[in-house]
Formats: sequence, structure tokens, C-alpha cells
Amino acid sequence: MIRRLVATVWIAAVALPVAARAQSITTEAAVSAGRSTDGTDAAAAQIRVFGPLMDSWRLYFEAAWGNVSTQGSDAFGSAYPYDGRVRPMEAFTERLFQPGKSILGLRIGRYRTPFGISGRSDYAYGGFTRAPLIRYDPTYGLSNLYFEGGVDVIAGRPALSVEGSVGTAADAGPDCRRPGADLVIRTQGYYHSLIVGVSYLNTPPTLPGTIVQGRTALGGIDARWMLDGIELRGEWVDGEPFDGVVTRGGYLDLMVHRPHFGPVTPVARVEYLDYSAGPFSAYPRRVTAGVAVRVNTALAVQLDGLHQGQPLINGRRTGLDIGLTYTVRH
Amino acid sequence: MTRAATVILAVAVWGSGLGRESLDLSGTAEVRGKSVADAVVWLDAPGAPRPAHPVEPVLDQTNLQFSPHVLAVQVGATVKFPNDDRVFHNVFSTHDATTFDLGLYPVGMVKEIPFNKPGLSRIFCSIHPQMAAYVMVLDTPYFAVSDSADHFVIRGVLTATYRYHAWRPGGPILNSQLDVGPATVLTVDWP
Repeated sequence: MIRRLVATVWIAAVALPVAARAQSITTEAAVSAGRSTDGTDAAAAQIRVFGPLMDSWRLYFEAAWGNVSTQGSDAFGSAYPYDGRVRPMEAFTERLFQPGKSILGLRIGRYRTPFGISGRSDYAYGGFTRAPLIRYDPTYGLSNLYFEGGVDVIAGRPALSVEGSVGTAADAGPDCRRPGADLVIRTQGYYHSLIVGVSYLNTPPTLPGTIVQGRTALGGIDARWMLDGIELRGEWVDGEPFDGVVTRGGYLDLMVHRPHFGPVTPVARVEYLDYSAGPFSAYPRRVTAGVAVRVNTALAVQLDGLHQGQPLINGRRTGLDIGLTYTVRH
Repeated sequence: MTRAATVILAVAVWGSGLGRESLDLSGTAEVRGKSVADAVVWLDAPGAPRPAHPVEPVLDQTNLQFSPHVLAVQVGATVKFPNDDRVFHNVFSTHDATTFDLGLYPVGMVKEIPFNKPGLSRIFCSIHPQMAAYVMVLDTPYFAVSDSADHFVIRGVLTATYRYHAWRPGGPILNSQLDVGPATVLTVDWP
């Protein structure tokens, strides 16, 4: 575990900046460590290389490594896999055209599934140490570790745009979708402080065809509202992960970013999931309260306390996660 | 009467520049002899006229960075903050001369903020903590920011003696005196 961490940090600190010496290419490295009362210790590292390429094309590449002492907990699984492997995450090139007041964007490569609130920066180190239940692999809803290998196009205006992705599943998590064609469509509207999106995903399921039939078909609505540093965001997802089973749920996040709080950002989440699958059904509910503290430009701390109706992996219904992240940009 | 007074005042102000040459003052910014980019250099010039066609200042958000890293503007300028990334950004400045929080906005949107108070504003994105920039708001039309080769050019300076100042990210403000003439080259060097 330590050897891999050292190797990843070495790549981040030494090798990539040399490779990325091209003008304006940025290299970013992050190293994290965490502990949860789930009985889980975690360590992780990521490297990111991004910036302009030729002819207005842009590059984004990310590789990650993560490991935990105990499998089975979702602690620290907000945006990255923790399976002890160094692996590429997003790796794409994109170009953005802005004719007049319109936007037209093209993205080619491997990218996070653009369903709902899906960006890395929406979940990674934003104050929550865990992915929403509806976005955690084993709940057979979505997953924050779903990736697409394909082509993504966004078109419209800033106030109203449509995004479509066609490709194949290229997931990074422990529960990867089966091979097959994959479609994601998302429409987004923006008005003053409110951003609302509607998404649809049609994709092969994660479980093998010998166990389940049909395809995963999910619809969702997401919204963000922000005013004077107070942000509310949430998603509602409803659909079938495979034939005869329904997954339905959502979450609402509150993040308070006020000047007099200084580097402290309080966060809170309430969430709800119904996984209706006969004897395998599960109906977890969870509340989370925490803070993200930016100690300085490099060091950040996340502290989350959570309570849920069903026990966590150690039989307790409450948990406390703490994580530290050190990030450098070159 | 008021109109006559205004005309007289305007002629007097214009006349104060008569016989003085307008030139471009170039220079370099260094720290202990090594080149430094993003240094802001400005001259005190109370009463100097605003440029007839000022450049519209823009602090772009592209490739998960602010561009430029340091922006210098004259008091009263309105800075545009376009989002040219496909992710959301939330630009804010909470502690300094001009405080604001633009909220989340998507690709293609442009928001604007007037900077009416002189001083330094540190600019951040609440979603991307590694994004940071500076807006230096100056009460003078004579200023420039050093480029990646440490050079800067202050345009249209009238020949005279000025008090100048220089600032760079993480460094103190330097203050000194300078006679600006046709052959003047200003070297700013932080010890």
C-alpha cells in the first residue's frame, strides 16, 4: 500500500511535470488520508494533467490510486475507487466552440457519465466523504465510478443546453457494467441562481446476464440553487437497474460558504433510497453533517458525522469520518 | 457661469500636459535578479486623464484556471468573468477591497463586477480550491503587469517625475521615485 502510494506521488511530483512542460499545461497532485469509525483507514492519491493542446483542443487526464483497510464500507468512496490499483480515470480531449451566444462542445475519450450532478469537483473533497447512496455502486442505482468511453456533445445556449453521450461503459469501480452500447442524454436550464437538469441513462447492467435480464434505464432530475454563499443542490433518480427491480432515491445537500466562516464550510445532506428487489430489497435513509476546512491553499480537512436507519458495516448506525487532503499544482 | 468655469478648468488640465512628451515606459521585474512574471507596476498620477478607449478587462475561467493570474485595472473598471470551462465555477472574493460572490454559473455565461475601490482583491472559485487570481485596482491610468519574460510596458506616460510602486503575489510593495524621460527604463528588483 505504502509502496504504491509513494510511486504515485513520485509520478505526480517528478515525472508528470517533466512530461507536461508544454506551455500552459497544468499538473495537479493530491494525496489523501482518512479514518472512519466504520473501522476503515484509507489512503489515496491522484494526478491530473490538463490544459490547452493545439488548435483550441484541450486535454484532461487523471490517474488515481486508493486503498482502504476494510472493504464493504462506503467511507471515502465519494469519487474514486479504493481497490489498491493505479488506474486512469478521466482521459479525454475536448473542444468548445462559442459562435455568438451559443455553445457547442465536443468531448472524446473517457469521461464521467454525464448524468445529473456528475463532475469530479461536485463530489471529490467538497465536504462529503461518501457518495450519495443513490450514487454508490452496490445500491444498483447510479455510481460515481461510472465512466463512458465515447463521444459527448453539448449544444445550445448557457441558459438552455442539451448534452448527449454515446459510447460504451468504461467504469472504474468494483461493480462495472457489462459491455454494450451506452446512451446518456441531459438537458440543463439556467435562470438567475437556479440550475435545473433532466437526465436519462440507458446502459447495460452491472450484474451478469446469467443473473439478470434487461438493461439499466434511469431518469433523473437535478437542481442547484445558490445565493449569497448558500448552496442547495440535489438529485432525484428513478428507474430500473434491470428487469423487475426498481431503484428510486435522492439527496439534498446544503453547503454554506459565508465570509465570516473564514475557511470553514459547513455541509449537510439528507438522503433516501428505495431498492425494491424482493428479498434483496433495501431502504436506507441517511443524514450527514460535516465541515470542509481549507487550512491553506494546499491542505484541506473534511469531517463528517452521519446517522442512518440501517446499520453501517460495524453494526452501528452512526459514523464519523475524517479525511485530510494535500494538493499541489504545478 | 458654471459652463465657463468647466471650460477654463478643462483647458487648464489639458494645458498642464502641454510641452510634455507622451511615451511608453518599459521595464523589467525581478526578484534578486531573477525574472518575475505577474508583477504589477504603477505610477502615482493624480488628475491624469483616463484613457479614451480603455481595454475591457477580462478574467477568464478556462482549463480550471483563472487567466490571467494577475489582472490590473483602473478604479471604476468593470471586469468580465466568463466561464469557458464545461464545469461550473463560482467566483468570489470575500476579504479584500471589493467583495462579491457570483454564484454558480455554467459554460458560456459571463458575469461582471465593477471594481470601485482601490486595493487588492484575491479571487477564488469555491468549487475548485486550486483556482486563484488577483485583481489589483489602481487609482491611476499608468500601470502594467509583467509578462512571462518579466517585461512590462506602461503606455502613454507623460514625461515627469513620478512616485512608482510595484507589487507581486506573495511579495511586499516596493515604492520609489522615477524621472520618466525618453530613455528611461525601469527595473524593479525585489531584494
